[in-house]
Amino acid sequence: MTTTAPLTHRDLVADTARRVVAEHPPESTPRAEFLGACFDAGLAWVHFPRGSGGLGVEAGLQDVADSILQGAGGPVPFSINPMGYGMAGPTVVEHARPEVAAELLRPLATCEELWCQLFSEPGAGSDLAGLATRAVLDGDTWVVTGAKVWTSLAHRARRALLLARTDPDAPKHRGLTYFVLDMTDPGVEVRPLRQMTGAAEFNEVHLDGARIPDTHRLGEVGDGWRVAMTTLMNERRAIGGGSSRRGSGSIGAALQLWRERPDLRTPALRDRLTALFALADAARLTGERQRVESGDRPIGPEGSIGKLVGAELNQAVYDFCMDLLGVEATLYGSYDPPDGVDDETDEHAGPHDVQRAFLRSRANTIEGGTSEVLRNILGERLLGLPGDIRVDTGRPWREVPRG
Amino acid sequence: MEFTWTPEQLDLRSSTRRLLETRAPLARTRELAEAGQRRDEAAWSAMTQQAGLLALGVPEEHGGAGGSRVEQSLVFEEAGRVLLGGPLLPTVLAIEALLAAGDDAALEEHLPGLVEGERTATLAVLGSTGRWRPSSPTTVAARSGDGAVLSGTEELVLDGADADLLLVLARAEGGPTLYAVPRDAEGVTVERLDVLDLTRPMARLHLAAVPARPLGLTGGGAGVVERVHRAAAVLVAAEQVGAMDTLVARTAEYARTRRAFGRPIGAFQAVKHRLADMAVQLEMSRSAAAWAAFQDPGSADEAFGAAVAASYCGEAFLQAAKDTIQLHGGVGFTWEHDAHLFLRRARAAATLTGPPSEHRAALVPLVLPDLVAPGHTEVPS
Ligand SMILES: Cc1cc2nc3c(=O)[nH]c(=O)nc-3n(C[C@H](O)[C@H](O)[C@H](O)COP(=O)(O)OP(=O)(O)OC[C@H]3O[C@@H](n4cnc5c(N)ncnc54)[C@H](O)[C@@H]3O)c2cc1C
Repeated sequence: MTTTAPLTHRDLVADTARRVVAEHPPESTPRAEFLGACFDAGLAWVHFPRGSGGLGVEAGLQDVADSILQGAGGPVPFSINPMGYGMAGPTVVEHARPEVAAELLRPLATCEELWCQLFSEPGAGSDLAGLATRAVLDGDTWVVTGAKVWTSLAHRARRALLLARTDPDAPKHRGLTYFVLDMTDPGVEVRPLRQMTGAAEFNEVHLDGARIPDTHRLGEVGDGWRVAMTTLMNERRAIGGGSSRRGSGSIGAALQLWRERPDLRTPALRDRLTALFALADAARLTGERQRVESGDRPIGPEGSIGKLVGAELNQAVYDFCMDLLGVEATLYGSYDPPDGVDDETDEHAGPHDVQRAFLRSRANTIEGGTSEVLRNILGERLLGLPGDIRVDTGRPWREVPRG
Repeated sequence: MEFTWTPEQLDLRSSTRRLLETRAPLARTRELAEAGQRRDEAAWSAMTQQAGLLALGVPEEHGGAGGSRVEQSLVFEEAGRVLLGGPLLPTVLAIEALLAAGDDAALEEHLPGLVEGERTATLAVLGSTGRWRPSSPTTVAARSGDGAVLSGTEELVLDGADADLLLVLARAEGGPTLYAVPRDAEGVTVERLDVLDLTRPMARLHLAAVPARPLGLTGGGAGVVERVHRAAAVLVAAEQVGAMDTLVARTAEYARTRRAFGRPIGAFQAVKHRLADMAVQLEMSRSAAAWAAFQDPGSADEAFGAAVAASYCGEAFLQAAKDTIQLHGGVGFTWEHDAHLFLRRARAAATLTGPPSEHRAALVPLVLPDLVAPGHTEVPS
């Protein structure tokens, strides 16, 4: 059932990565130049076609490239441009016209252009297909009006993945169209939203007559839902894919805290820590196994497993850390952005900032698809269970009540 | 490479599945369990003499088929699907112990019959405490002429009333040592035990000055048992995965067809989400168990993989068995339904090689090696 990546592909990726590192030593090469060299060499997304930042090999070999590039001190582009690398790249390469893909992918890969995702709205989150932002064609330009919300990185993004309604009379999934929006358009207004951690990594985005050339439409008019599926599956994989290194991620922060605070250890907490460790490792290995087993096939519903488990694991790990800290957990490190982080994100909170990480982890089961929605997907698509009872099937979008 | 099975290994998996589905299906497991029988004789000879399942993992120079823990774990996963019990696991573990002890004379004497399935064997290593503590066995070996005599009680011996050969861990002058004892030797008394997992008979053995032959080096028994303990953890995890796979498939099927309030019950999220969690835990277990099986026996990675798999899979299977009963409603609580066979197996398997918490404790020196040094004491809770 499984196939191994032919050794030649693995060698190709490794040789290419070593060559890039030799020709562009990461410590002396500006970030954008280094990432541009990676893109040109086909290492940005190894499974993309040659010329589009890839080598046309199995996606599972990305790790081979990344460990060489990052092992040599290269930047981690996913953490700089998460929506770009995780979702926009794969969506653009699959659905944009070739000349548009050629224009968009390289600056995305160099992180000169950060991306954000304009999907959720005040009235449409889990029920994304119910969204209300309208796009109307005016000659060869689309004019977009509506409100998006919870948009991470919108305040720094140059481009956005946008899902909008082009036919309110069609049933909700069929009236959507997918676009790439230029965030510098005068019709775009970004207002920061403060999160429960005090930081502001996400925003409200108001679209008031924002204009998009028709060439920046991805997929056919009315086929936006299918394109959005590419984005969402990649999002879940990006969030849930996890690291292939044992003991990394949130469990690593817990181990470090344990190491640093011998005064707080108890046998009961030790058992909890090792149970979390076993869970984290089973999740890590599941990501590995899926990468090996899927080869270059597209990700199926099982791609949601990593996201679902990872989110609940993070929450359990930080709950554990708070219990370990005991009374100290009632303090709060600082309401200023964490040191050494150049933006407002909370993601980098380390073991020294357990309380912040504890608060931040509450978002994990909401962002990128709630855990309830993911369990629905797994139950219905992996196990073939019937769908929920629903009242919107087949009805025109405009007739369906919305919240 | 981990998670990459060769075509031959995949063939082994499917041929084993076919064999067990025809010769030893779950319905047959149930009949045997209800009749208190340890095995189906025809199925046993099909598995051993024809399919050579016990030769897997045994080097060719000892009459085996070669191969590794990967092949063995594929077989145990299939065995788990149909809750095959009886002499398979104890005999495989005994073979493992004989190989690890490396005593040529003993290998020559015992292996061929075991590999062929003509004879069966088991380990008696838990002593009178019933716990895996190979460094402090409770059975005592006293010198007697050239050999030794063993005295003590061995608890929870798998298939102990019927296995032909007993491998007993005993306290000897040079340290814990493994001994070979024919079950019908003079001085061995067998007490059959009533067991929770009806597919896995167990016995208590009383040894009263039983003549025995040491296997391998005197004092080498603890090392051998530790190695076998790890093999047991890896193979039991594979079995747990197979059993869980059956539960997820059957329970999903039930949820698609059983109706309530005019809909299949699987349309209700309370049911759907519980099933989704079962499927997720099955996939996680599968990864942990398979990774462990890919590690070299005796390596630190194997120790790590075995501890993760035993801790995770044990609890996941138990949860799946409980959820299966819940999601089947009243019928799930009946004797006729197979659910209780799985619950019994899950409950017993989760502690067969020691409870999950013990496997987790074994993780500590592997995950936090720097903390095992003296001076790092814990506050008692
Ligand atoms: C930190 C953070 C960053 C985010 N970044 C982005 C971003 O960059 N771009 C973007 O587009 N969005 C972003 N989001 C939005 C996120 O995708 C949505 O919040 C999420 O999809 C849930 O939608 P909602 O908030 O409208 O909640 P709702 O959909 O209203 O859900 C409320 C509750 O109802 C439950 N629920 C809803 N439907 C069902 C159902 N069918 N069955 C069972 N339960 C159900 C949900 O699980 C949840 O518990 C971000 C969110 C967070 C927290």
